[in-house]
Amino acid sequence: MASVFTIDYHSGVPAYRQLMDQIKFQVAAGMLPAGTEMASTRILSAELSLNPMTISKAYSLLEREGVLERRRGQTLMVRAATPAEVETNKLDPLRQHLAAAAVMARQLKISREQSLKLFRETFDSPSS
Amino acid sequence: MTSSPAAPFVADKVTKTYPGHTVFDALDLEIPAGHVIGLLGRNGAGKTTLLHLAAGLTLPTGGSCRTLGRPTVDLDTPELNRLGLVQQEGRFIEWMTVTQHLDFSASFYSRWDRDLQQRLIKTLELPVDRKIAQLSTGDRQKVGILLGVCHRPALLLLDEPMSSLDPLARAGMLDFLLELLREDGTTVVISSHILGDVEKIIDWVVFLDTGRAVENAPFDVLQESFAEWTVTAAAGGLPDTFSEPFVLARQGNDRLARLRVRTRDPEDRARFAQTHRAEIQSRSLSLDEMFPLLAGHQQEVE
Repeated sequence: MASVFTIDYHSGVPAYRQLMDQIKFQVAAGMLPAGTEMASTRILSAELSLNPMTISKAYSLLEREGVLERRRGQTLMVRAATPAEVETNKLDPLRQHLAAAAVMARQLKISREQSLKLFRETFDSPSS
Repeated sequence: MTSSPAAPFVADKVTKTYPGHTVFDALDLEIPAGHVIGLLGRNGAGKTTLLHLAAGLTLPTGGSCRTLGRPTVDLDTPELNRLGLVQQEGRFIEWMTVTQHLDFSASFYSRWDRDLQQRLIKTLELPVDRKIAQLSTGDRQKVGILLGVCHRPALLLLDEPMSSLDPLARAGMLDFLLELLREDGTTVVISSHILGDVEKIIDWVVFLDTGRAVENAPFDVLQESFAEWTVTAAAGGLPDTFSEPFVLARQGNDRLARLRVRTRDPEDRARFAQTHRAEIQSRSLSLDEMFPLLAGHQQEVE
């Protein structure tokens, strides 16, 4: 399993939350396809120098959300999502980013039209 | 992970006084098993006293302490075998070499782990043939760590254990503490002012302030309860003061204010935005930033 996670301990965002977001992102982006086995809490804890409690919390919340599932006894793997779920999983992280961008636009008194235009331009410009 | 459901340390209405000075007055505290617990607070908040009470090095003036299920006044070999204490400045037998001292200390424990000892000597790059008296402050601290952990305690108490270690040794030490939790389910209580280190490994916070435990909660719950809001007036100006009880500190002026808040209730935020006709950007706080808020030290309005 080739997955890389990085935790910014100083950001104040709880580590379990960062791990969940990164796993969700990698699942949504197809980097962790359905059926991929997740590293055990133990192994990931050693690999990332991360408290095992943090990892088991992230895993169990992702299981509850249906992103991961336990099969064949204990193995935790990426669950196959329905097309509707795939859509939601993709749009959610982008929506979060855009919500922050929208607040900033309003604070800076950038109009709706101007903001949308900017997003379009940014979207089309390569490697921005 | 093996973790016992019983709390490895319980303080029951503990009072601790020294002549002319009260550290704790009826302190109630229960420390959960199988966590890495950050014992935090300002200087003089009672962190070292609490660790000494837990280790049985000092006894409460009133009330009682239980460590590993036994009143600390009665701690005996079975408990002491499962208890580790690393002090900021350990006391050693100065004329011994590091190796001699480790052998000497190992002889008191049935469960001394030689492999672990060798591995830590290597990780921490400890000069084993030198006499204790000739060691640098950092190397003395490393000896203290080895003496505190090689018997693989079930409860490990660390009082500023890394203050003199360089960043590489500290990183090795942090990894090792997580390993203890993974392998043995060790409960680790660590007091440190190097918050950037602590926040990498803890999953629980006990915050002492003027002799009271003002927090005893999972670290992520605390992280998710504080935020900084950057507030801008959407129309008109911001008021001089915000009366919402979750606003702990404020900087800024009537057009832009930075608030430190203790709420993550989206309704609080929505109501605040509506009441003050304001836009809010929220971000999380690091442990450094949370610290003054936990200590009840609120930044003044500028």
